[in-house]
Amino acid sequence: MEPDPWQQWQQFVRPWIESATQGSAPAAGGAAEAFSDFLRDRFGKLQTPWASGFGAGMARDPAPSFGGDWPALGAAREHQQRLQRIAEAVQRLDEAQRRLQRLWSDALREAAAAFAARLASNPPGSASTEALRALYDAWIDCAEDAYAHIAHSEPFCGALADYVNASTQWRQEVQASTEHLSKLLDLPTRSEINTLIQRLNALEERLRVAPQGPEPPSAAPRRKRSTRRAAKR
Amino acid sequence: MIAADLFTALAAASRCSPGCSPKDAVWRSGKLTLYRYRPIAAPAAGPPLLIVYALVNRPYMLDLQQDRSLIRGLLAAGLDVYLIDWGYPDGADRFTTLADYIERQVGGCVHEILQAHGLQALNLLGVCQGGVLSLCFAALHPQRVRNLITMVTPVDFQTPADLLSKWVSRIDVAAWVNDGNVSGDVLNQLFLSLMPFRLTQQKYVDLLSGSAERARIENFMRVEQWIFDSPDQAGAAFREFVTWFYQQNRLVSDRLEIGGRKVSLRQLKVPILNLIGQRDHLVPPAASLALQRLVGSDDYTALEFDLGHIGMYISARAQREVPTAIANWLAAR
Repeated sequence: MEPDPWQQWQQFVRPWIESATQGSAPAAGGAAEAFSDFLRDRFGKLQTPWASGFGAGMARDPAPSFGGDWPALGAAREHQQRLQRIAEAVQRLDEAQRRLQRLWSDALREAAAAFAARLASNPPGSASTEALRALYDAWIDCAEDAYAHIAHSEPFCGALADYVNASTQWRQEVQASTEHLSKLLDLPTRSEINTLIQRLNALEERLRVAPQGPEPPSAAPRRKRSTRRAAKR
Repeated sequence: MIAADLFTALAAASRCSPGCSPKDAVWRSGKLTLYRYRPIAAPAAGPPLLIVYALVNRPYMLDLQQDRSLIRGLLAAGLDVYLIDWGYPDGADRFTTLADYIERQVGGCVHEILQAHGLQALNLLGVCQGGVLSLCFAALHPQRVRNLITMVTPVDFQTPADLLSKWVSRIDVAAWVNDGNVSGDVLNQLFLSLMPFRLTQQKYVDLLSGSAERARIENFMRVEQWIFDSPDQAGAAFREFVTWFYQQNRLVSDRLEIGGRKVSLRQLKVPILNLIGQRDHLVPPAASLALQRLVGSDDYTALEFDLGHIGMYISARAQREVPTAIANWLAAR
């Protein structure tokens, strides 16, 4: 049976707070690491939103009926490949998200250790509102410093780029699928609207650079009309 | 009781609106509006000052309220102040490029002002990203700019402290934008994630632990409104900005072209005042200070203030020092 998460949380966080408030830096640092490991464990088991719903099953099992390297043959090959690319994007998204979570937990661990060390060198004097506020501000300073250290690092920048690029791939493939469906239902698509916008922009530009705007309609049709009138008479 | 007072004050302040100085719309082009502020002091000598704000936020930050208004400070110094409001781009603006913004929109505003005043050149103040647009415009049209002021403006986009630059370095921006606009909400999240603990927690603890004094709460709510009132970004211009400036650092490498014309900062020989926030987390000081070694101007002044990015617009110290510094520098030229 899975242990109660709330009890687990208390089990890890209590020693950290107690050691931190007692001013024991080594004990607080150790407790902070244990607490951080607990958080990392919980985060690691967390199901990301894109690994459920639309992408259900794809992130954990990359080889469902149309997934993985299943060869694309026949009339539906384009659609199959698109679904395979969506599955691949979901998997990449999930992996990048887990790397980011891991780095976030590293930052929290670093912050907790720094906070404990700061408390050891400058323990809070009382439980007044001002002291608690100073404690909170110290925590924020530690957290921001630790986060900045991680956020500037190569692994974080790489994971963030992978995450954004995977989400871009996923969105593009879903857009393509949606456009295909829209065409079946004879609905306007974003690509068609973009084409119209570009044509309008080109026309606007031609009007803007034309010395006197568009030429007025020629007199020829009017002459034709008068000819017809004359013929009727 | 205090919590109830605070809640009531916050609810009331939610409806307060930013902006304080009277102004008139003098020109419109698409979603852009050019405003001219009404004078509040005897006019100073010299041409009008056109303020070019960033595309990524709304320009009312420069005129937030009576006691926090860079524009009011400039008006009090007798300057004739114009401001570009870019409006809110929508899906129809997705193909608007940097050349459109710089040549047609900034260029259009400059043309209107020069015609109205019968002048050959004006003073240009570019703020943040608007400073980059102003640098490009001034380099392309030096004869139309008498003096150039840049404020919290990035020039070298790849300095060690520039977190945004590191984050975007390996992102496929062209694919990400993909002919669409970039959501202002996404940009809000990006900016919050630069300092997540301070910007999503500490500032609200500060708010709740202070008094329910009306002026304090209204200050906070106006800034809060500005922070999250982020227009979507025209996709093409955004893609060009991130690729050319953040990823390729073209201003520094002298490889920038706008609308098929080379933009070389070496050609920039007008007097330049560069205003820098020493604690700026968005535009690190080194990113702005790089301007000096890149421009051809002999008359270059850099002024550093012990302020952050937003503090440069609205802090009490900025109100005292920044408009005066600008007015004095202009008066000397």
